[in-house]
Amino acid sequence: MPPQPAQGRTPAAASSNSTSANPTSTTSAPHNPIAKVIWEGSIPIQFSWDKAEAAAVGSSAVESFFYEAQRCSYFSLLTSHVRKHFVDMALHFIGDDAEVWYDYEGTPLKWHYPIGLLYDIHGLQASSGRGMNGSLLPWKVTVHFQNFPGDKLIKSQAVDSCQDYFMSMIKEADYLRNGSTKKVMNMSKSDQTQLWDGLSSNNYDRFWGMNYKLMQNDGVMARNIPIRIYLPENCPVIQEPVSPIDDKEQPKTLRQILNASLPDLFPLVETGPPVAAAMIHGVIPNLDTSAIWASQNMSYPDNFLHLVIIIK
Amino acid sequence: MSSSGTPSSESPPPSVIAQEQALNSTTAAEPTGPPASPATVIANHKRKDTSKVIVRFRAIGNAPILKQNVYKITASNKFMAVIQFLRRELNYQQADPLFLYVNSAFSPAPDEIVNNLYKVHITGVNFDR
Repeated sequence: MPPQPAQGRTPAAASSNSTSANPTSTTSAPHNPIAKVIWEGSIPIQFSWDKAEAAAVGSSAVESFFYEAQRCSYFSLLTSHVRKHFVDMALHFIGDDAEVWYDYEGTPLKWHYPIGLLYDIHGLQASSGRGMNGSLLPWKVTVHFQNFPGDKLIKSQAVDSCQDYFMSMIKEADYLRNGSTKKVMNMSKSDQTQLWDGLSSNNYDRFWGMNYKLMQNDGVMARNIPIRIYLPENCPVIQEPVSPIDDKEQPKTLRQILNASLPDLFPLVETGPPVAAAMIHGVIPNLDTSAIWASQNMSYPDNFLHLVIIIK
Repeated sequence: MSSSGTPSSESPPPSVIAQEQALNSTTAAEPTGPPASPATVIANHKRKDTSKVIVRFRAIGNAPILKQNVYKITASNKFMAVIQFLRRELNYQQADPLFLYVNSAFSPAPDEIVNNLYKVHITGVNFDR
């Protein structure tokens, strides 16, 4: 079980004191093994060209493209690599980044969700519902260059749009924590850009060097935890404003947070075997973990804690 | 260049909070009976919440002023419905740029649920005032 920090004080906050001694390292990330491990989480993906599309351009036996993707990254950031692979494989085919989309077992994958979240929802959550326990890796994703499903995915998925949606999420998270987006808006343009650049170039120090300022929240306890809960079967996403502390000013646990939204699945006191579990980054955390600690250390780079519900 | 509208919704009157109920209140009820099965919980969450929230559009920047700026919108709709509705009201073509912000603060993705944004928004307003 992760250590439970004193209220309002995070491991990131505690360790930043040691790095502040060196003024040249202001943008390097504070030591945080949990955040680092999460950052380094990756999923091997097998990208295959949609068979009908490939056959239509006379390329029926195109080899798959294998890529080990960062869980925290986005499909939009991989598109240029994926397209290049298939363009190199097929004659008379150029393709267009703006038209590329991905599906898993027929379900279009939202390009504005982190890859790890998509895998947890469409891979692990869906397969646990079907009683499958075998490995899904490499994750078999189908690539399309045509027939963009505009009714299911947001159109305009250039890398710039992905960056815009990413920054919007960070602002929404700031709004939840502080009731305004001042913390993000008061960052200089280059500081804001550092967040996205760090993520898109897979540079942990660059990203967390800036992100810890948002996560620490200047030592002020957040009003609400930026958290989203995903039930199976494409249920609407649950996003309730949840205070990180209870009536007695004690940090709430993940169980308390889940119980508030899903009391039938997460009773405060388990009387039998649990019927559900919550998954973050493919792992199932102990529900006694402090929710604010989880938020500060286990959120995705978009600053949200994305909890995927697994029914047992 | 066409004008880029940037309306944002403002705080609805507190009376709207009373209209917010149905699905949410039933799931948050005191656990009197045995807990519902996961299948029931999922089915309940899939059911469309027909309650409405009030959205107030405010034009900023070069956006045209609306004759009517307060509308009721179904809570379970996606934010996309709000965008499409406003585009229709403004007679905007597909290519006309339109940006929507919640409380002038952040621009949600079109697939976010209106009710979720509404709840976030209320909290912010309550704290701000």
